[in-house]
Amino acid sequence: MSVLIDIKYALRLLFKAPKFTAMTLSVLVGGLTISLFTFSFLYSTLHKALPMPEGETALVLSTETIGISMNMDTNQNSLSAYEFRQIAKTQSSLDEFGLYESIDARLSFEDTGKNISATYVDSGFFRFSRTKAMMGRTIQQQDMVVGTTPVAVISYETWQNELSGSKDVLTMTINLNDRVTDVIGVMPPGYRFPGIAKIWLPLKQSQLNKQQNTSSYFTAYARLKSGVSNEQATKYLSAALDQLYQQSVKLYNQPEANKIVHLRSYPMDQVNGIGNTMFIFLNVVAWSILALGCINVGNLLLARSMERQKETAIRAALGATSKRLVSQLMWEGIIITTVGAILSVLLVGAALDYTNIALHSWMPNSMVFWWHWGLDKETLGMAIIVTLVTIILAVFLPAWRSAHQDINAALRDGTRGAQGKKAGRLSRLLVTVQVFLVAFLMLIGTLSGFITQTFINLETGDDYSDIMRASINLPKNKYQTPQEQALLFQALLERIKNDSNVIDAHATTLSHLPIILSEFDFDDSHEKLSIDTFTVIGNTEFSGITLVAGRHLNRRDKSGARKVVLISQSMANRYWPGESALEKKITLEIAGKAESLFIVGIVTNRFNGRSLFGKLDSEDETYISGLQFIKPRMRIYYKTIKGSVNAAGIFYRALFEIDRNIDVVQTVQPAERNRNLMRDGMRLTSKVIFGTGFFALMLAMVGIYGLTANSVAQRTHEIGIRRAVGATDKNITDMFIKQGGRQLLTGLGLALLLFTLISVMFNEFSEGLIPTYLYFVLASVVIVSLSLIVMLAIYAPTRKAVVMEPSLALRYE
Amino acid sequence: MTALIELKDITKTFLTEEIETRALNSINITINKGEYLSLSGQSGCGKSTLLSLLGLLDSPTSGSYLINNVDVSSLSRDQRAKIRSEQIGFVFQSFNLISDLTIFENVMLPLTYQSGFSKKEIAEKVHDVLAKVEMSHRKDHFPSQLSGGQQQRVAVARALVNDPAIILADEPTGNLDSKNAQAVLALFDKLHQDGATICMVTHDPISAKRASRCLEMFDGRLIADNLNTPSHQKLASSVAAIELVAS
Ligand SMILES: Nc1ncnc2c1ncn2[C@@H]1O[C@H](COP(=O)(O)OP(=O)(O)O)[C@@H](O)[C@H]1O
Ligand SMILES: [Mg+2]
Repeated sequence: MSVLIDIKYALRLLFKAPKFTAMTLSVLVGGLTISLFTFSFLYSTLHKALPMPEGETALVLSTETIGISMNMDTNQNSLSAYEFRQIAKTQSSLDEFGLYESIDARLSFEDTGKNISATYVDSGFFRFSRTKAMMGRTIQQQDMVVGTTPVAVISYETWQNELSGSKDVLTMTINLNDRVTDVIGVMPPGYRFPGIAKIWLPLKQSQLNKQQNTSSYFTAYARLKSGVSNEQATKYLSAALDQLYQQSVKLYNQPEANKIVHLRSYPMDQVNGIGNTMFIFLNVVAWSILALGCINVGNLLLARSMERQKETAIRAALGATSKRLVSQLMWEGIIITTVGAILSVLLVGAALDYTNIALHSWMPNSMVFWWHWGLDKETLGMAIIVTLVTIILAVFLPAWRSAHQDINAALRDGTRGAQGKKAGRLSRLLVTVQVFLVAFLMLIGTLSGFITQTFINLETGDDYSDIMRASINLPKNKYQTPQEQALLFQALLERIKNDSNVIDAHATTLSHLPIILSEFDFDDSHEKLSIDTFTVIGNTEFSGITLVAGRHLNRRDKSGARKVVLISQSMANRYWPGESALEKKITLEIAGKAESLFIVGIVTNRFNGRSLFGKLDSEDETYISGLQFIKPRMRIYYKTIKGSVNAAGIFYRALFEIDRNIDVVQTVQPAERNRNLMRDGMRLTSKVIFGTGFFALMLAMVGIYGLTANSVAQRTHEIGIRRAVGATDKNITDMFIKQGGRQLLTGLGLALLLFTLISVMFNEFSEGLIPTYLYFVLASVVIVSLSLIVMLAIYAPTRKAVVMEPSLALRYE
Repeated sequence: MTALIELKDITKTFLTEEIETRALNSINITINKGEYLSLSGQSGCGKSTLLSLLGLLDSPTSGSYLINNVDVSSLSRDQRAKIRSEQIGFVFQSFNLISDLTIFENVMLPLTYQSGFSKKEIAEKVHDVLAKVEMSHRKDHFPSQLSGGQQQRVAVARALVNDPAIILADEPTGNLDSKNAQAVLALFDKLHQDGATICMVTHDPISAKRASRCLEMFDGRLIADNLNTPSHQKLASSVAAIELVAS
């Protein structure tokens, strides 16, 4: 009964002060929405179990080679069939353990075709995913035997979209990689394990039985034996794998390093294991916004209960127990918090749905199947926890404080007693914390805005417009000699160039090669220098890497001929300033052998991944002839005339005419696509960070305004007294501004200190990406705008109180 | 005698929610230097309103107000604040000390709103007035640590610290027991003897009789303005003395 009275009373108070209620509510909803959304988004992205039976125990085994720099040409992050066989024979920590390989397949129709994500799987793969075919069967042992008819299991969506959901799909054939393939099964809707697969093909036994030196590389799926921890398994498997790798270092001249194993969930593996750090960092940002919100709400409620201190004291004097008083004071906060929580859960739900749609339409083919965002029970659970914490921090504590005040002091002292003074100190401290948090968020926000801008506008030095690219990997058993490999690439390029829509084509691959520059003295000669080296067949002119002096590589630069190299302009200027670098010699260590090369051409600089933040000329590049130093895995680039239709088909037609057994490791796509995706992603991130910073600023402004307004309202009487004894308007506003100014300075000072630290570190890391003066400009802009906003938030309510006639203010109690 | 203050045809109307209250109705008073005025009348007749106008805490709806022959009824807000800080001392019924400030800081307040006083001068002046009201020993306490009588003595000290031309007191004894009330009234007597100009609102006839001139109001109008003869005054103080002994 008494609770009902309290609730009714609280509601009356809330409706009586609609401005206060709206302000508190919006602050709360904002904070809750941002933190809940961040949590839910990241949790779904990184920590949710795969949406398939026993998905929570499905792990992916990836490897890492520690001790050599990342190199795209070797499969250092995968497991070779040989390594897999050896480990599978002896290991006892995994229950299920198998291999698969995801590739891009070409699905052809009469005269068109499309790329489709396919996965080669072993016979244990579908059992591992605990999913049966919806129609027909999955891949069996017998399908893996060499020489059997090619078969494929297709996804429900492929069935619907490509075969128009035909009833007799199981009697149909499809043309996959130019081979007639039987459809043997259809998977249930939504099944795309291990990520984005639409078609599953059998791995061939022959691929799995290869020897150490000719082995292909795969990804492995695994499930732990019960009772074995991830750490134990990782430790054991890493030791076993490293032993195998050390053998191959001895036997096959592999680079010296250590190879270890990671056993991660699929979502974690998707973000390369950095998920935890990201999860924590982004959550910290989001929760500090919630903390800001809580501080404001708590502060507003505290101010409000201080306002009613006298009333509370009267109630206490009339015999109310402190339990009753706390409950009475709390209802207002509980109602606001609950309403706020419900509103933000609705908002978060809408935002997640929107994100889900937006992201799926942004990257329709590369969204792994477990990425689905929406309101789920984890988010709801989190919402409840957060609401309870908010109630405790922002509602219970202020109410408890105010109920345990000294009744006497409050009754004697009017609105502001000794308790009020303590509360005032607390609220001032909170304003300081608030200014600190906002200033810091703004500083970091603008800095990251600058960084993303710099990235988006990064010079690349090349011109990828109208250029398509694809990666292929020559099967080693079929193309064993360098001559065979070189011939194949040449033939493929010729065929592509024969198409009337193609302007030019080349094949290239990048490696970091040790360079020996004996004729130059280096202070840091103990450091082994290496250089970005592109192995090229063909001419780079059409991709924007143009000739400055000398000549391009051509078909006469083949094995047996003089070994030659092109260098970048930056390199020519660095080592041969003021003279021509042509016909000078450099020595590169290629495939373990020191090779002396004659410089025959100088080309323009290009963006270099080794100095992510550097200028184009901060790092050098060299180009060697693919006909002299071939690699079995290369990227094909070709430029088409503007507006060519089916530019991707040109590549597949050429490839299938030559050899349909060659693996396409990366699908044909516009060469700019990844860059554009990266830029889009950057823009989005930058917008999100800016939005967050801006919201934090709004929160702080509303919060500080509310606090000052409350403090001014509470001090109306005091203002009356001060005016009565002669204070001018300016005296009064100065008093409030000075008080707020102190908190502003402290908060800003602390934030600047932290920002300086981060800036210095970042500047070092980014090699001066952003000129130093810009940090100062940035800091000044933040200081000035934040100060203005805080001062405005303080000035506005003060102004209102000052305008009142002192005689009226004095009547105010 | 020189006229310190002249009120000519002052009216004050309040407008609240469309209801017009005429709190003051064509008031004419001249206050001379050194006078000790008492202002009495029943509750709600406009005494506090009149005092607020005298203290420039509010402005009249019509009429003119002269201090030392200067019209102050049309001054700017800041000019009025300047006059308050330099020429007026206010004592309220509810003391109106600022609870976050110490006694010393409360008393010093009017001086901080004037320019030209050094820290040392301020300390001296505050010390002097606190000694006058016998509150020096509590200067570092907070108002809530003092009794009502003590708080009111501090309030009087605050009203004195800027050597005001006139001290305005709105029922200064209204919240005090008779013993403390007598102490405050005795303080006013002494100030009057020292030459201060005082205007005190009271509805206690005995307190009123201690003044040199008694004004009486009714429903926003001045209805009586009598000079007190010394004998009256003597009588009043002896009555007060008897009361004091009796209590
Ligand atoms: N700020 C105000 N707003 C509206 N009415 C007021 C205000 N101040 C005083 N009054 C009205 O003016 C009249 C005189 O008030 P006041 O001067 O306080 O009386 P007194 O001090 O003689 O008891 C009263 O009727 C009162 O209600
Ligand atoms: Mg009154």
